[in-house]
Amino acid sequence: MEAIVLAAGEGRRLRPFTHYMPKVMIPVGNKPILEYVIDALKENGIRRIIIVAGYRKESIMGHFGDGIKWDVEIVYAFQEKQIGTGHAFLQAKKFVTDDEMVVLSGDNIIDAKGLAALIENDAPSLLICESKIPSKYGVVELENGSVTSLKEKPTFAESNLISTGIYKFKKDIFDIVENFVENGKNRITDALQVFIKEKKLKGIKLQGTWRDIVYPWDILDVNAEVLYELPLSVAGTIEKNVTIRGNVVIGEDTIIHSGSYIEGPVIIGKGCEIGPNTCIFPSTSIGNNVTIHPFSCIRNSVVMDNSTIGSYSLLSNSVVGKGCEIASRFSAIEGETKVEVENEIHEIKAGSFIGNDCKIGANVIVEAGKIIGGKCTISSNKVVNRDVPDGSMVI
Amino acid sequence: MCGIIGYVGFRNARNIIIEGLKRLEYRGYDSAGIGIIEGNLHIYKNVGEIENLEKSIPQIDGRVGIGHTRWATHGKVSIENAHPHTDCNKKFAIVHNGIIENFKSLKEMLERKGHTFSSETDSEVIVHLIEEKYKGSLEEAVKKAIKELKGSYAIIAISQLEPDKIVGARNESPLVIGVGEKENFIASDIPAFLKYTNRIKYLNDGEICVIKNDGIKIMDLNGKEIEREENLIKWQAEQAEKAGYPHFMLKEIYEQPHSIMETMRGRISEIEPWINLEIDFDGMDEVALVACGTSYYAAMAGKYMIEELAGVPVDIELSSEYRYFGKKRRTVLAITQSGETADTIGALKEAKMYGCKTIVVTNVIGSSATRFADHVLLTRAGPEIGVAATKTFTAQLLTLMLFSLYLGMKNGKLHANEIKNYVAELKRLPSIVEEVLERENEIKEIAKIIHDKNTVFFIGRGINYPIALEGALKLKEISYIHAEGFAAGELKHGPFALLSEETPVIALASKDRVYEKVMGNIGEIKARNSPVIAIAEEGDEDITNFADHVIYYPKLSFPLFSIPIAVILQLLAYHTASLRNCPIDKPRNLAKSVTVE
Repeated sequence: MEAIVLAAGEGRRLRPFTHYMPKVMIPVGNKPILEYVIDALKENGIRRIIIVAGYRKESIMGHFGDGIKWDVEIVYAFQEKQIGTGHAFLQAKKFVTDDEMVVLSGDNIIDAKGLAALIENDAPSLLICESKIPSKYGVVELENGSVTSLKEKPTFAESNLISTGIYKFKKDIFDIVENFVENGKNRITDALQVFIKEKKLKGIKLQGTWRDIVYPWDILDVNAEVLYELPLSVAGTIEKNVTIRGNVVIGEDTIIHSGSYIEGPVIIGKGCEIGPNTCIFPSTSIGNNVTIHPFSCIRNSVVMDNSTIGSYSLLSNSVVGKGCEIASRFSAIEGETKVEVENEIHEIKAGSFIGNDCKIGANVIVEAGKIIGGKCTISSNKVVNRDVPDGSMVI
Repeated sequence: MCGIIGYVGFRNARNIIIEGLKRLEYRGYDSAGIGIIEGNLHIYKNVGEIENLEKSIPQIDGRVGIGHTRWATHGKVSIENAHPHTDCNKKFAIVHNGIIENFKSLKEMLERKGHTFSSETDSEVIVHLIEEKYKGSLEEAVKKAIKELKGSYAIIAISQLEPDKIVGARNESPLVIGVGEKENFIASDIPAFLKYTNRIKYLNDGEICVIKNDGIKIMDLNGKEIEREENLIKWQAEQAEKAGYPHFMLKEIYEQPHSIMETMRGRISEIEPWINLEIDFDGMDEVALVACGTSYYAAMAGKYMIEELAGVPVDIELSSEYRYFGKKRRTVLAITQSGETADTIGALKEAKMYGCKTIVVTNVIGSSATRFADHVLLTRAGPEIGVAATKTFTAQLLTLMLFSLYLGMKNGKLHANEIKNYVAELKRLPSIVEEVLERENEIKEIAKIIHDKNTVFFIGRGINYPIALEGALKLKEISYIHAEGFAAGELKHGPFALLSEETPVIALASKDRVYEKVMGNIGEIKARNSPVIAIAEEGDEDITNFADHVIYYPKLSFPLFSIPIAVILQLLAYHTASLRNCPIDKPRNLAKSVTVE
């Protein structure tokens, strides 16, 4: 059996983090999300994977290459314009060699056992799970194990079951999808209505976890989820009087200076400098080549590669993109707040979200839930109480 | 210089060897050939790229074979001169990389004994010698044959009389063994087999090896068996692939944020602060830098860095000149990407003979240069397949920056706070290079301006002078446009005569202490109506009054700005060549590492 992984989308609602990388390459636990999908497929014995790439495809290809590092064979199909999942799926057709295939999207986390139940079943089938907010997803109704209805983001959800967008198909699906795409219906779910009418599409309930990343704050949830099963592995230099508790991974050539306190699950990449006297609490991922100066505190956050955080800073429930320079006494205030993304209002509890390559001066405070775009400059002593668009200067 | 590979195992040897040769094409590619044992010895050769060869070979099923991609040194490009070469009775076949200096006398001697030669190459004498010496053991015959050879060689031999083995031998040409399960590999370079194994054994000069599918035996020339430890290569095979980019060169340009991080990793600390290269500091009060080609431009930049940051006087010399004429400074630092550059290794040997402290800056662990030098500074850029050096050049610049800062720190020229500021900036380099890469489309527009011109000049002062030379080299080697670099102040002493509306000038105008001078030079050029494309620091508005086009790079101090500027010039050369439909990864008449003098 083969797998087709849909990874062409940009993920506009995840901006500013998707400015320079596609959604599937956002790091959680210091690995791109897509890598967890590939791991789960491999664990289920699927060794030939067709990735449909599009937006910023170089970053996917640069990372995964031909898959040899993961002992899988990866081939790439391209979707130049991101006009729908069905259209994306069709781009993989010419690379398919087996009769049966698993189709899934590259931007969610699924555990391998959950996938196994789908693989054992007959095609066509759909992996479904329960959700507290079903109307955000494709809502599914089931009868005797067959899907009787699948509605995308209905205003009123008639069930709490949703589609994970993970399918098992036989090759005949391509003709059906092709038909729909020719008529301008570009989503896989459009084509599925054919199976649903004939009660042919089986719904397999998922045992285990499934998470997808839609909004910046989802990065924190999924990060915490993947760090849950972290092993303990410490490389680099750990100075005297450093406390390390729980499951902590520290990469090569990283230095943890004296007096620092790290409570897992925490992952720290290669070539970082932390401390002295810096505290890192669960569930935090720190990328490669990151410097965190003395007396700072980081909790439940993601800090991506090449960023620097100054002394006496506090980062809680926050995401810091690549290459940020944050001076001392930075505070990301955490709290409950309303956030607007692409004209939707969300009530969340979070700190702040800072895009790539921002330069932030000393004593800057960012209020809860605020999103600072990529390449912003914020001068010292500012309080940021609203979202800051890409490339802005706050002076 | 050539690339060779041998395989013995359970897979289809034809496919493995073709695949390996494609990875070795960077070593030269005017012709290629393979030899497979399937019952008898089967030889297939062709001229041109490996693809030509692949198309001309039938699907043959042998499990033992050798292959060769040639870059002509003796004899023209022809099917006869392509390897493998066979003996008179077509029982033995060899592939060879290197130069046999005494081939003329050997050939005469063999011809007198009745051997008939079918090629003009020096290599063919080896296989006739093996035939002459063969008494039932291929390894014995190879051993006796190489005792008569003078020169440099890496040889792989097979014979249909002993169809289960290949025999390899080396002297001053690279050859490494890839260790697999029930299969083994041998090749000039690791990417040839890296897809199948990352376990390798190095072969030293004057050693021969016998490789079967279930064992590897390494011996010296007296037949004494040698134990050799296995090394694990940390490069991923994928790194040797194009990863979806149209060319290796572009892929390698885009790898720079990562390679830069790797070069620095574990060598710098901002918080403490320090730089550590694990080289003892004795004798570093005078330094000679020796190198060839692109590495020489890195050396020229190194002079500006070391003199400014560490206050230590520096000589720079071309390896081929240094060896015969250079002054022997107390410390000699050689720069060679491959670690196999014959001229540079010669210079290193010479320096060592005079008792100099020798340091080599190289990208390849275990390469010949690392075995001659007292200290090794690895640039850690990963394998580079594109013939035009890109990421290895910036890695060399960065390694020299670390070296200068280390020296300045050790000799007290730089104080701790200065080190801290430099390290903080160094840590930003990967992000800054990423920012520059995001400007690819702007640079593409500039490429449109220069791609139909016959001549392009590059100018700069200080460290930007060697960067201008490298920019010109990059452009000429892949786009075939005549390009020349000048120290900005030298333009008026002659080259001015060449300026016209049709000769764009790329001016490197960093905000350093010679900025005003460069502005003056740009003014002089504008007065001759040549279009000026400036590369300048972000925020520099004044420059728009002088230059027709400006490409900006993020603000950085000396000498760090040389790295983003080098990246901009790489992209400019790449897109210019791309617009002119040039074979970017394999420019005509060039090979990746030059192992002949």
